Amino acid sequence: MDQIVSQFLLKSLHIILDSRIPSLYPNDRGGYAVSASCAKKSDKWFNLALGDRPAALDNLNFWHRNLMDPMIIDIILVHEGPNSSSVDNLYTSTSTKAMVETVIERWSVHYECPRVTPNMNDSSAHKKIYKKLIVLLRSLYCQMRFLPAYRIFRQLNSSSQTYNFDIIYKVSSFGDPFSRTEEAMMQDYTFSPVEASSGRLCVSVTYHKTLSDFNLVPAGSLFPRIITDYVGSPTTKPLRSFPSSGKVVEATSSPLRGARPPSSSPFQRPHSWTSGFHRGAPFAQASPPVYHMYRSPSPPSDFYGQWGPYSRSVSQRAVSCDDYQLSPPFSPSPNHSYSHSPSPSPSPPAHISGCNTSQHRGRSGTSPMNIPHVVAAGNSRYSSPNLSDPNRQHSLPPPSPLNSRLDPSSQDSPSRIRSYRKSESQRSAELHFGVANHYTGHKLLRDGRDDSGRFSGLLSSSGSPKIGFSRSSSRLSLQDDSDDCEFSCPFDVDDVDSSASLARNNLDSRRSSEQSSATMGAKSQDAAVGVLVHMLRNAPPLRQDPSCYSSPSLNMELGAGVTASSGFFLPRKTSDALEELRSYREMKNLLLSKSGACLSKEEA
Amino acid sequence: MNCEVCHLKDLEVEHYEIREVLRCILHTIIFHRALGLVRPKEIDLELFEITYVQCGDLKVEKKIDEKIEQLIGWVEKHPNKKSQICLSFYEVKNKQASWFTNKIERLYWEHWYVNLNVVQQPKTAYARSHSSKDIVDSENALEERSIRRACLETSLREVLFQIIRFVNDKKDHVPPIPNREGAISFPYEITIPSSSDSAFGMDMIKRMLQTGHPTMLS
Repeated sequence: MDQIVSQFLLKSLHIILDSRIPSLYPNDRGGYAVSASCAKKSDKWFNLALGDRPAALDNLNFWHRNLMDPMIIDIILVHEGPNSSSVDNLYTSTSTKAMVETVIERWSVHYECPRVTPNMNDSSAHKKIYKKLIVLLRSLYCQMRFLPAYRIFRQLNSSSQTYNFDIIYKVSSFGDPFSRTEEAMMQDYTFSPVEASSGRLCVSVTYHKTLSDFNLVPAGSLFPRIITDYVGSPTTKPLRSFPSSGKVVEATSSPLRGARPPSSSPFQRPHSWTSGFHRGAPFAQASPPVYHMYRSPSPPSDFYGQWGPYSRSVSQRAVSCDDYQLSPPFSPSPNHSYSHSPSPSPSPPAHISGCNTSQHRGRSGTSPMNIPHVVAAGNSRYSSPNLSDPNRQHSLPPPSPLNSRLDPSSQDSPSRIRSYRKSESQRSAELHFGVANHYTGHKLLRDGRDDSGRFSGLLSSSGSPKIGFSRSSSRLSLQDDSDDCEFSCPFDVDDVDSSASLARNNLDSRRSSEQSSATMGAKSQDAAVGVLVHMLRNAPPLRQDPSCYSSPSLNMELGAGVTASSGFFLPRKTSDALEELRSYREMKNLLLSKSGACLSKEEA
Repeated sequence: MNCEVCHLKDLEVEHYEIREVLRCILHTIIFHRALGLVRPKEIDLELFEITYVQCGDLKVEKKIDEKIEQLIGWVEKHPNKKSQICLSFYEVKNKQASWFTNKIERLYWEHWYVNLNVVQQPKTAYARSHSSKDIVDSENALEERSIRRACLETSLREVLFQIIRFVNDKKDHVPPIPNREGAISFPYEITIPSSSDSAFGMDMIKRMLQTGHPTMLS
């Protein structure tokens, strides 16, 4: 029975936090992808599979040793105080802005009045209790979605906006009593307790009847900006929200940056475990995740693997590392630099909060990539409307090292294109990206996109930095004809087997080139992005005939692309896809590391 | 074992809202009764700011949609009539095999009645005339519709809370969970009682056929 009770506590905590705390999972919550079999087993408790347990729940085992203690979970809304106005936000520094914490829900899970009875080991009784607890947890799961707080949780989880509020939680064995005014605004609901021979399990909630009294608005909604170098339509491009352009965010303002210790984790919410771990836990666990994000290649491992239906959490994770030190770029007075004045904790939690809101911006439902040129308006989900040319330049890698390295593996026929591309890429690395370039790129983007999404048009002779804009409505449709001199299309009809191996070679060489370019300085950012662009352009299986590479002209490329796309769809080996995925991962890691390096470099 | 019956609060819906409202209610009930291993699936309603949970079983989804379509067909044939859909859970009991039949009896242990009043929107709301009076009328109609929609959303929330309350208050009548794979642990059926008034004979024949087959689902 004790095991049932403790698992019930864990499960209920999992359900509650899962439905209220946007930043619960520090890593990509890919379902059961990386969980061990033991995690799966624990997920099957009460026949309710919720996915991997967040790390926070591990604290519960450590903390909640006494099953008789009630588990009080406070869902706290961190929002602007009533005296701050939108106008004030523009002019007051973040350090003086008051953020207020309000408990909007208090969940109580309590194993009451436990007593020893002679039939403690009655298995049929346990089965009945277990069945009732299953039903209770189903109701809890549904109820979480019916209460008002769920809507704002969904708002925070949405990929398109950042908001001037955040949700944190606190788990304790007691709850501070509410004031009269607070009580007047709240309502109670108690689930029917489940009677056990040794006690009874009760779940109840006190919640705010309405959250409309709080000024919960999108963070950027008050600050319209004119994007002078807007390229492409965000709604049609899957490649978004790539966190590499950390300095982009930096340009706007980052009052959090200076105050924030680098060891704070963007993912660790201030777990207010009242056994003494109140806000202490995040510090203890702070540094590994952050540096992990910055340095290790593994966290963004799924980045390149999923362009289209990209999981929100992955992009969120990838973004947050870069963003956590920085306010959302289009929020000049970031609301998430919470002062946490009532709290004894120092700045990191505030920055964590800020990070979490800022990373909402990066939560793209479609793509992890934020090719920084595609800037957004205040409400857009792109990372920065404040991209200035110097910033953008950093985001394009100098392609020359990559090109030179890849030359040996290129085919003969596209050799002309190869040299053409090389010079073009070099020029792109050196140029500032002006508005005209972006518009041209955008225009060519559209042309390319019309042609089943291929970007061969981008390769036209302008040699402009818009190569960096190679976004497409479909990952598979990105193609750069001139790049095929360096990477043969893995899906060539003419030579499927050899193209697969060649693609592998290309991917390997790309990977090695990426790794070596990781050691470069500011220009390496451009190199990394250029490499990524190359990869993206070569990935899609549109071209069958390598001879179509021979002409650099837009029309020919488009035509070839059309004919290629019609006969394109060859069976592709899983190994090819895996290789491609790996290469994307490498690229993403490289870009992330670059952005981290550049960010630290700029900070210095 | 007793049979518990729950009559959910009446809902006034327009024709185009029937599908969403019924899906929400039926899936919520089944989610509470699908006590096998489930991976919950959240669905946002399009017409209302409500998120409900499905058990994730595609067969269930398909069956619910079929029954909803059946009800919609009935509603179209019987406008301005109260419609009702019944979700029942039962146990299958094997009776003693007799000389002629091997009867399998259904023991119902729970009935849920969803009551809908389908209102017909007055035609003036869709008037395309450009006269100022008609425009005002259609504006008023739109405003009435939005008020009605808000009321329906509130009522739907109350119905969902009603389901949760009922499910939690009454747990003793739920049979033991059988050892079966899949989310659905108890057989269920969805019927449209009002539609059987004119097809009593067919209903009886249907039941006789059903009791002859040890199928879990109708």
